[in-house]
Amino acid sequence: MVDNPRDLIPIIDNLGYVIDEELATVLFLMQKLEKPLLLEGNPGVGKTKVAYILADMLGYEIVRLQCYEGLDVNNAIYEWNYQKQLLAIKISESSTKSDKEKEDMIFGEDYLLKRPLLKAISNNKRMILLIDEIDRADEEFEAFLLELLSDFQISIPELGTISAKHKPIVVLTSNRTRELGDALKRRCLYHWVDYPSPEKEMLIIKKHLPNIEAKLADQIAVFVEKVRTLKLDKTPGIAETIDWARGIAALNNDDAAMYNSLSCLLKSNSDIRAVKKEFFTKS
Amino acid sequence: MSQHYTQFSSFSEAFIGFAQEARRRGFPTGIQCTKDTVESALFGLWPDKALFEYALTSLFCHEEEERAVFKKLYTQFWKQKGTIIQDKRTNKNQKSVLSSSSSAVMLGTGDTGSSEEGEEAKTTTGANTKETLKRTDFAYLTKYQSSLLDELSEKLVKEMSQRLKRRKKKSTKGQIDIANSIRTNIQNGGNILKLAKKNKKRDKYRLMVLLDVSGSMDKYSFYLLKFLWALRSNFKQIEVFTFSTQLMRITDYISDKNMAIALAMVSQNARHWSGGTKIGTCLKDFNDNYAKRYLNGKTMTIVLSDGLDTGEPEVLETAMQQIKMRSKKLIWLNPLKGMQGYEPIQMGMKAALPSLNHFGSAHNFESLLTLEKLLQDA
Repeated sequence: MVDNPRDLIPIIDNLGYVIDEELATVLFLMQKLEKPLLLEGNPGVGKTKVAYILADMLGYEIVRLQCYEGLDVNNAIYEWNYQKQLLAIKISESSTKSDKEKEDMIFGEDYLLKRPLLKAISNNKRMILLIDEIDRADEEFEAFLLELLSDFQISIPELGTISAKHKPIVVLTSNRTRELGDALKRRCLYHWVDYPSPEKEMLIIKKHLPNIEAKLADQIAVFVEKVRTLKLDKTPGIAETIDWARGIAALNNDDAAMYNSLSCLLKSNSDIRAVKKEFFTKS
Repeated sequence: MSQHYTQFSSFSEAFIGFAQEARRRGFPTGIQCTKDTVESALFGLWPDKALFEYALTSLFCHEEEERAVFKKLYTQFWKQKGTIIQDKRTNKNQKSVLSSSSSAVMLGTGDTGSSEEGEEAKTTTGANTKETLKRTDFAYLTKYQSSLLDELSEKLVKEMSQRLKRRKKKSTKGQIDIANSIRTNIQNGGNILKLAKKNKKRDKYRLMVLLDVSGSMDKYSFYLLKFLWALRSNFKQIEVFTFSTQLMRITDYISDKNMAIALAMVSQNARHWSGGTKIGTCLKDFNDNYAKRYLNGKTMTIVLSDGLDTGEPEVLETAMQQIKMRSKKLIWLNPLKGMQGYEPIQMGMKAALPSLNHFGSAHNFESLLTLEKLLQDA
């Protein structure tokens, strides 16, 4: 554990993620204060990646809960393995066990399917819990999560309350398709992940494509920044920039490469047309 | 008058004072947040102003929009006499401030001109401009606000349609189909291992919007049209007609992906814009010529009008009844309803009221967003 957030920067840089001082401070603070971290930002700016980097850095296992509309307790916390239970009853039909013993057996931990939240809490070692795209889940689930995030315990009627052996490190991400509740936000540290500056994006490109020419990486980063100012159906994220850089490199970086590989960067015909019209009218 | 850290006798009191100041300025923070502030300072972040600012930003801001306001508040509270808190981020504006000595002096002394102080305070209050914008009556928007609202409305409608689309996809739940469950489980020796489900097919609404563009609606029709454009770009099954003294179908014009082009198309083709109001006759015309084609049991009809009709109320009444019979739901959104003390006592509105499923307001963006609930199945 480092004593200054600035010391985190080279460590994380070595792991292949370009991080700025602000995010480093927030990561430092979340470990010190033991608070969940809520990352908001547009799709493709590397929010989810932060959780994986944390896991890499701290050497913890990561468990990911992908949220969606209609996500419920059965899919997020636990479910009984019904098939296994039914089979067990069938098998033990001829045994001499009493009903009580049979019941205890089929409601034991062997028959419990642990979903991500329970897994994160009941694990013997500390874990990173990534709750991805929380804005997709319903408000009811958000309210439920609140309880979990403040007490770190879950109660299962048949088994009793399970408290966390080790408080997991929680990272929540949101694309902001809806506003999250104030109660949830208050429990978390908040960080807005923006599109990177051209300088930062250039560093990211170089990180992923070590052999790329510095001039080309610079050109790409500056161009993508301009593209992001246009009104597009889908603004390209960092992943698209990297794809595009790969595309240009694969096309031997001749003059037409940038123009021809635009489809790596933009994912709709009208976007491609708009960008070509704006920046490539001469050619 | 904003506070400054020198007004407190110790740093720990200043931390608490800062948290209280932030709360006063509208940041939703509790005691926990104050505690966290003091703790982060104890972790060794404090003397380093840049890091401490980052830390507090993550504690106090719960939205991207609040960051700028918070930064201002922070700088003001912690600024040094004679020096400036340096910002390590590569911000070009910041650099230019640092290089120009005259502005540095002004920032440093802090007490030059009380008017500036007041100005600052004004802009800092209300941490969330977005919410205010949503609630402002269209009729009172300034030019600057209206450009902000354009952007906001496009974004919010997009989000809304995204949510609605998702809701449609969710249909894995359903009633258990007992017969089918037994049939599919015969291979398991009659043990029900997998339940078969049957889903009720959900009806999708089609939208029919009738927009009043008469003179009395001038302040609103433009914004409503923009909203409809945003709706149109996200909902496939929508038809839009405008009316004042005559009826016109504008669905094709507002279908253009570019809002400016779409609005230009409408204004080029709509000759009856800002005219008088004959709601009754226009709706009758609609019933006679279009209703059969465009309305069916799945249509939700929305009338956007102030209800100030100059025609015969009886004509309007029958026309409304007919539309109601032909569509699944009939909704009237009236911008005047947002006014305090408004009552639907005008002849036209009175005549229309009995046929409505829902009567709502449409004077600001927030009221339009309540449509989401009604649109859930569209």
